[in-house]
Amino acid sequence: MAEMTEEQKKEQRLKDLANEQKSQKAQLKQCDRQVAMVFDLNKCLGCQTCVIACKTLWTRDQGMEYMWWATVNTQPGRGTPRDWQQMGGGFRGEEPRAGQLPSKRDFGEAWEFNYEEVFYGGKGNTTHLKPSGDPDWGPNWDEDQGGGKYPNSFYFYLPRICNHCTNPACLEACPRNAIYKRKEDGIVLINQDKCKGYRFCMEACPYKKIYFNHVTQTSQKCIFCYPRVEKGVANACARQCPGRLRFVGYLDDENGPIHKLVNKWKVALPLHPDRGTQPNIYYVPPISPPRLDEQGNLDLTKPRIPTEYLKFLFGDAVEPALEILNAEMAKTKAGGKSELLDTLIVYEWKSLFGPLTTDPATIAPRSA
Amino acid sequence: MQCTKVSGAADQLLDPAAAAWASVPPETLTMSATPLANQPSEYIKASRDEKQIGKCRSLEVQAAHNGNDVFFRLSWGDESENNKEVIDTNMFPDGCGILMPIGGGDTPIEEMGSKDVPVNAWFWRANYKQDEARNTIAHGLGSTEFSKKSPIRARGAWQQGKWSVVFTRPLSVPELQQEAVQLAVGKTVKVGFAVWEGGSGERAGVKSFSKEWRELALEA
Repeated sequence: MAEMTEEQKKEQRLKDLANEQKSQKAQLKQCDRQVAMVFDLNKCLGCQTCVIACKTLWTRDQGMEYMWWATVNTQPGRGTPRDWQQMGGGFRGEEPRAGQLPSKRDFGEAWEFNYEEVFYGGKGNTTHLKPSGDPDWGPNWDEDQGGGKYPNSFYFYLPRICNHCTNPACLEACPRNAIYKRKEDGIVLINQDKCKGYRFCMEACPYKKIYFNHVTQTSQKCIFCYPRVEKGVANACARQCPGRLRFVGYLDDENGPIHKLVNKWKVALPLHPDRGTQPNIYYVPPISPPRLDEQGNLDLTKPRIPTEYLKFLFGDAVEPALEILNAEMAKTKAGGKSELLDTLIVYEWKSLFGPLTTDPATIAPRSA
Repeated sequence: MQCTKVSGAADQLLDPAAAAWASVPPETLTMSATPLANQPSEYIKASRDEKQIGKCRSLEVQAAHNGNDVFFRLSWGDESENNKEVIDTNMFPDGCGILMPIGGGDTPIEEMGSKDVPVNAWFWRANYKQDEARNTIAHGLGSTEFSKKSPIRARGAWQQGKWSVVFTRPLSVPELQQEAVQLAVGKTVKVGFAVWEGGSGERAGVKSFSKEWRELALEA
C-alpha cells in the first residue's frame, strides 16, 4: 500500500476524530428506558401551581433567580423566553441548525418588589406594590391575551419543561460531552462538574429551556425531578397540578397512561416535532369551542382555534389526533364507553403516575 | 522565541504597565481561526463560519523570567472591553490562554493534547477575580479540566482599544507534576497562544490561536 501524504494523513486524522466524537455522542444518548410526560391541554387552567412547585423545590439558589424550569404560557403568544419559537436550533434533517442565545431580558429579569415601602414603610396608602426598574417582559407577560377576533377570540395554556429529548440538540452541541441521557430512564442532565458555561446547548435547544447561572458559571435546566423519580415519587410539577393534566410514566409501560395516550390512541403529540429532537413531553391538543358567525349563531363548519396554528405547534398529526378525540367524545355522548376519555378524565389521581405514586412524605430525608 | 532574563520581582512584573516590560523584546504572532473541522461539536461546525472565527489576528508576546518565576505579557487590539460587566446570558468575556505540552511531548497544537500527551493550558478571562488565572490540563479536544489549585496569577488591563495581560508562575511547580508543565532556566519548551474575543461570542474552541508551536528558550 502506498504511503499516505501529509495531506491524506491529516484528512484521515480528522475523520478519526469525528468518528470518535460520533460514537461518544451515541453513547451519551443511549438509554434503556424513557420516562415521559403527557400534558392534556384541555385541562390546563393556567394556575401556575406547577411553576411554583418547581421554583420552590429547585431554583431558589443564587444565580437561579430568573430561572423557571417549568413555565405555563398563553398561546398564541410570545412565550418565555420572548419569541423562543423564532430562535432556531434543533435539526434540519441530520444537520444541526443554528440557534440564538436569549438575553436575560428575553427571559424576564427576576424582579425585586418594594415590599418594605408598602408593608412596613408607612406608604401603604400612597404607593402600590410594583417591580423595580422598568420591566418590559417576564415569564408570563402576555397572559390571557391569546389570538383571534371577538367573538372568536381564543387562547389556551401551554405548560413547558425540558423535553428530555431522544435526540437532544443540547447534548449534540456540547463540546465537552457534559450533557447525557441517564441510562436507566432517559432523563437529560447537564453534568455540573463538566459544564464550563459555554452555552452552545442554550443556543442549540429549539425549546430554549436551558438557563445560564452566572454564579456557578454553568448551564442548568429541568432535571425531571430525578431524585424523586428514583424513589418512585412523581415530579413536583405533576404531583402539585390541581388540574390532573400531567401524566408521568415510562413510554414502554403498556399498562400506563403514557403508552396508552402516545402509542395506542395517538392523541398525545410532541411540540414542534419538525425541530428534529424527538421530545418526550407530549401534548393532548386543545379541542376548540365552536365559532360564532356574524349573527352570533353557532358555526360548526370551522374550529375556533385555527387548525393551521395547531399544526404549527404539533405538526400534521394534530388533525387525526383531534378527530380521534372528537369521535370518542361523540361516542360517550351517545351513551357509550371510552377507554381514552376515562384515561384523560383521571377519576383517581394515582392513575396519572404509572409506577410513580409513592407519597413524598414517606421518603426519609437524605442523610447529611 | 526568547524568554528574557530580568531582575524584577513577581509582584512588580505582574503589572502590565510595569516599566521593566520595556526592556523585554516583543514578538508579534499571526493569529488564525481555530479550524472548524476540529471543533468537538457538530453543532459548532454547522452553526459557525470559519471566516468569522478568530477576531484577534495579531498577538504581541513578551516572555521573561527572573530565575524563580516565568512571565508572559500578551497584548492585542480589541475595540470593546468585555469584562466583569458581562453578566447577561448572551454575553461572553474576553480572554487569553497559553498552551504547553507536559513533558515536552509531541502533539498537534490544534488538538489540545491527547491521551498520551497531555497539555497544560493557562487561562485568564476578563471576568475573573483580580490576579486570578486558572491552570488546566487537557487530553484532547473538549477535555480541559481545571486543576484544584492554580499556581498561576494573571492581571489584565484594557486601555484605548488594547488588552495587556501578564501571567506569572514559579518556573517549577513540583506539587503539580501531573497537571502542569515544569520549566527550567536554560531549557526550551513548546508554547502556543489563544485569544477569545468575548464580544463576538468567542468561547471554548471558538477562538484565535497561534497555529504552530514556538520553541521558547529560557535564557540562562
